[in-house]
Amino acid sequence: MSEVLTGVKQPEVETMQADSTPIFEVKDLHLHYLTRFGDKIPAVSGVSFSMKQGEILGIAGESGCGKSTLVNGCMGLFIPPLYPTSGDVRVKGESIMNRTPKDIRKNVLGRKVAMIPQGAFNSLNPTRKIKDIAADVIESHDDGMVSKKEIYERLRERFHIIGMDDSILNSYPIQITAGMRQRTVIAISTLLNPQMVIADEPTSALDVTTQKAVIRMIFDLLEKQIFSSMIFITHELPLLRHVADRIAVMYAGEFVEVGTTEQLIFDPRQPYTKALMGSMLSAEPGQKQKKPVAIEGAPPNLAKPITGCRFAERCPVVQKDCKLNKQELRVVGERLVRCDYAK
Amino acid sequence: MKILKNLLKTPFFIFGVVLLVGTLSFAYILPLFYHVDIKTCVGAPYMPPSAEHWLGTDHMGVDMLSLLISGLQSSLYVGLLAGIIATITGTFLGLYAGFRGGWQDNTINMVTNLFIVIPQLVLLILISSSMKEGRSLTLIAVIIGLTTWTWTTRAVRAQAASIKSRDHISLAKVNGASTITILFKHILMYLMSYVFMVFIMQTASGILSESAISMIGLGPFDTVSLGTILNQAQRNEALTDGAWWAFLPAVVLIAAIAFALYVINQSMEGVFNPRLRK
Repeated sequence: MSEVLTGVKQPEVETMQADSTPIFEVKDLHLHYLTRFGDKIPAVSGVSFSMKQGEILGIAGESGCGKSTLVNGCMGLFIPPLYPTSGDVRVKGESIMNRTPKDIRKNVLGRKVAMIPQGAFNSLNPTRKIKDIAADVIESHDDGMVSKKEIYERLRERFHIIGMDDSILNSYPIQITAGMRQRTVIAISTLLNPQMVIADEPTSALDVTTQKAVIRMIFDLLEKQIFSSMIFITHELPLLRHVADRIAVMYAGEFVEVGTTEQLIFDPRQPYTKALMGSMLSAEPGQKQKKPVAIEGAPPNLAKPITGCRFAERCPVVQKDCKLNKQELRVVGERLVRCDYAK
Repeated sequence: MKILKNLLKTPFFIFGVVLLVGTLSFAYILPLFYHVDIKTCVGAPYMPPSAEHWLGTDHMGVDMLSLLISGLQSSLYVGLLAGIIATITGTFLGLYAGFRGGWQDNTINMVTNLFIVIPQLVLLILISSSMKEGRSLTLIAVIIGLTTWTWTTRAVRAQAASIKSRDHISLAKVNGASTITILFKHILMYLMSYVFMVFIMQTASGILSESAISMIGLGPFDTVSLGTILNQAQRNEALTDGAWWAFLPAVVLIAAIAFALYVINQSMEGVFNPRLRK
């Protein structure tokens, strides 16, 4: 797994990883929501990154910062009122933008990019057996060419490979535990061996033991090459310490700092990343004694044009020109930081 | 199976089923033992019940029991067909509007509201009376079905709009399920018990609507139904003649079948709806 930074817009960073073909690339992605009055509200602005085989990228940020919108963009899943403004998303060099919804459904979702949704333990239809829910995934992509018997056989085989009891297949979701439901959703979402898996807060609302089991399962699937790389989205930055190779911190639709896990957890440089780390309880050595401090204020209203730094209104170290000059991601040491004053 | 077991523990459900089976037996099993003839005059007008003619005769001297059996069969046919049409129309429109949202939802909602505010019986009377010829049982059922789907659409739309934002629908979407798969396997299957209960109510409503329009003389031309029996009794002064057998059994049958369906519906709701479950 790589610990090298990869921000597509920065030429220096691209050179660092020029020897390997990225599995997944997002290039200068801008997404917006269209209101019923025709106004465009930018939700994701200029996000770029690329990922290599076996890599896990963690994306952290507070609620409403655009993480889930970015997930939809990464999957080419544009359900109105969400629309792409510009940019590109590529899986193994192949763009998934500007495709028809049918093409996205049949050839991208589940096959190239799969998703483990938020609250996945509630994501199983209570009126159907697990095997029927799972069979839908195969049937949706194979145009009914595969018989039910063959599908069930494939499901049993997959459950064996990932170390799950195949008797679960004959159960209704209500008959299994929340942790087991979560793992079942992960198994179902990765049935078609996707290149990239996006896990949108897969461990939220789970107890610590179950969280651990779920993360262990994700690593196991990655090791068995059921999928190639993964984006792990969470609002709990410390959790990424045990999961991600790299972390990108998002604020108001932009990446504000991208670096290795060690760099961001133990030495954040961007004021928002620092504030985010400072606002969380952490069991990490050296951080246990720290009292969490809330970030004052609220994120900016993206419906109004913003000049200058988006975090300026809340920044504890704001300078005179921060509200005037747009901050760009720049290389600081071996990481990317969106702050002119970060050292 | 568990649902059936729970239903069988409900006294009202058993009562409703017994009443329904009794009525159905009257319509379809009794004719196996009793010669049904609605075309031959077998006696004088308004002959009271006797051993030969258990429920007497009508104003033409036709056997009343034969008329009731045939009339009940017709009413059940109209109710069932109207129920199927109204349930299918209402369910599909409601599913589509609730799932789709946007202008499609607004349009369907507008049309539904328009049909709701027009009094259904008035609409039925207007359509039926405009058809001077060829007013068959099937046509009456189609008219009833196409004017009574509105409440089903409203209810199913509300349910579909609520279900479409649930997590299992999101999972199906991100796993590449088509709209048809989501609509039928995830939303309709979820609503199946509800749709079935709606169908029961629509059938009962179809039987009552047919009786109402036939009673005022706008029923089918080509056959006899429970409503036309009442209409004939009223027009031929059965009430003033004291010939209760010409109208009372028909009223009892209409009430029995509608009541049985309502009771079954109510007890099913008690089992399907967890908030009402005891």
